[in-house]
Amino acid sequence: MEAWVVATGLIVVYLVLTIVLGIVANRRMTGDMEDFLLYGRKAGFVVLYLTVVASFHSAFAFLGSGGFFYTHGVGFWAAGTWTLLVGAITYVIGTRIWALGKAFGYMTPADMLADFYESEAVRVTVAVVSVVFTILYIQVQAQGLGYIINVASGERISFEAGTLILLIVAAVYLMAGGLRAVYWTDVLQGVWMYVAVWVGALVLSYELFGGPLELWRAVSEQRPDLLSLPGPQGFFTPGMWVGMTITLSFGIVFQPHMMIRYYTAVDGKTIKLLGATTPIYLMTLYIPAAMVGLGGALVMPGLEGAQADRIFPELLFAYTSPWLTGAILAGATAAAMSTLDSILHANMTVLTRDVYQRFIRPNESQGHYINVGRAIVVGLLVVGYLLSVGTGDYLVVLVTLSGAGALQLMPSILGVCFPGGRTLTRAGVVLGIAAGLVTLYVTMVVSPHPLGMHAGLWGLLVNTAVALNVSVFTTPPSAITIHRVHGEVERFVYGTEDG
Amino acid sequence: MNGNAPRRSHFFPRTRDGRTATTAFLALFLLAMPPMTHAVLNRTDPWIFGLPFFYVALLAVYCALILVLIWAFRRGV
Repeated sequence: MEAWVVATGLIVVYLVLTIVLGIVANRRMTGDMEDFLLYGRKAGFVVLYLTVVASFHSAFAFLGSGGFFYTHGVGFWAAGTWTLLVGAITYVIGTRIWALGKAFGYMTPADMLADFYESEAVRVTVAVVSVVFTILYIQVQAQGLGYIINVASGERISFEAGTLILLIVAAVYLMAGGLRAVYWTDVLQGVWMYVAVWVGALVLSYELFGGPLELWRAVSEQRPDLLSLPGPQGFFTPGMWVGMTITLSFGIVFQPHMMIRYYTAVDGKTIKLLGATTPIYLMTLYIPAAMVGLGGALVMPGLEGAQADRIFPELLFAYTSPWLTGAILAGATAAAMSTLDSILHANMTVLTRDVYQRFIRPNESQGHYINVGRAIVVGLLVVGYLLSVGTGDYLVVLVTLSGAGALQLMPSILGVCFPGGRTLTRAGVVLGIAAGLVTLYVTMVVSPHPLGMHAGLWGLLVNTAVALNVSVFTTPPSAITIHRVHGEVERFVYGTEDG
Repeated sequence: MNGNAPRRSHFFPRTRDGRTATTAFLALFLLAMPPMTHAVLNRTDPWIFGLPFFYVALLAVYCALILVLIWAFRRGV
């Protein structure tokens, strides 16, 4: 049987499995909005673990990271720093977000921030930032899916058609089963992608070099420039290392699809255990990615720009059996879809809750909002598709931009979750975010990464300075609200209401 | 409690285990950041277990950071 038939067939089998899970999840739905959007706040450790890691690692981890090792060398091992930081952030901040969500019924990041800062302007600003920057993430995943199915089918299925098919499948099971369907499919996807990337990398390293150690030795002999900083193209400067670490940890955790996951945990201890252990999965997935990227640079040199993101599937097709290639590319599909469905769900939740329910039709039935959410998914699918076929940037660049945007929520979130600092005001928060986004645009597009420091960090610095200074002269939230919210944090962390 | 009264800061840990975990995590984390990465760890020799120094050193730091998080969880920090 031809390789492309096997590879495409296995991806189809995988897609059918996800749709079946969506249908089963649909039968378990209670028709309650909290059940549809937040899994009824009942997610246990195993399900939450696998959905968090599967959502964090996406087409970016499966394709983009291999491409980055291929182009820029071992500097991408910096990825370990941001995955570790994600664990610590989850441990320290995720638990507080969970506690506040449980106490006050928050469903979205904007719910929490608008409540504390007593401002609908804050709600709208946060909702817009959440949606705009995670739509970039939809684009990343959709492009990844397009690459995968295009390569798997031996270019018989076009990039555009592949993207559309996989977007539709994700939207179908999301609309059928809500977050329950997303979580169940993420469990399958989380296991599949981890096994797939490790098996693929090991098989390739033995096939091409005689083993992982021989692979490293060959890289040191043939391309020593890939084994030191700042890499062949001088990319990994100290400023870029720090910037990517901050942007791809805080910036991704503060995206709505990750924050909403904290709300869904069954208890705070589950979030803490999640924080302590997720880096094991997240960090170790970059070990095989390094083998693929660095080894690929030796055996398949010459791929440039976005082409380098295709190194893993190209190697599989060239050097492994069709069955293994198919199974691994289904794993790559899982990596992209598990993030895609999470972002579709998060944006659906934000637009339904923070825009439609709040400003357009506030007093409708739960079923009405669920159906509106489903309609929003269709709209997001169209936007995501158009964006993904319209541009062709590096996957990593898009992910970084997406993280840099969400990073601008950091001062306002810390203001809610950490009592005892200077209290920000609604004007400070809104103007800070606006200043941060303008700075992000200037330092990413007009004059990229001044002084070698990542644009996301420039945005965060200006944002924080503006937020703090404006807050000196403007009205803070009421003492009652501060006492209510910070008292809940104090009670959760230290077991007493008084600080 | 008076809502206007300042709360004790949550930016600094209050318990001994909390301080230990925070200090250990931050100290280890600095080992994985510039200037350590670019000035001290940035070399391939010596090879350790058949892998370049830079890669292995960072892997060791990452594993230590995970152990700190697990220790904090077990201690109820």
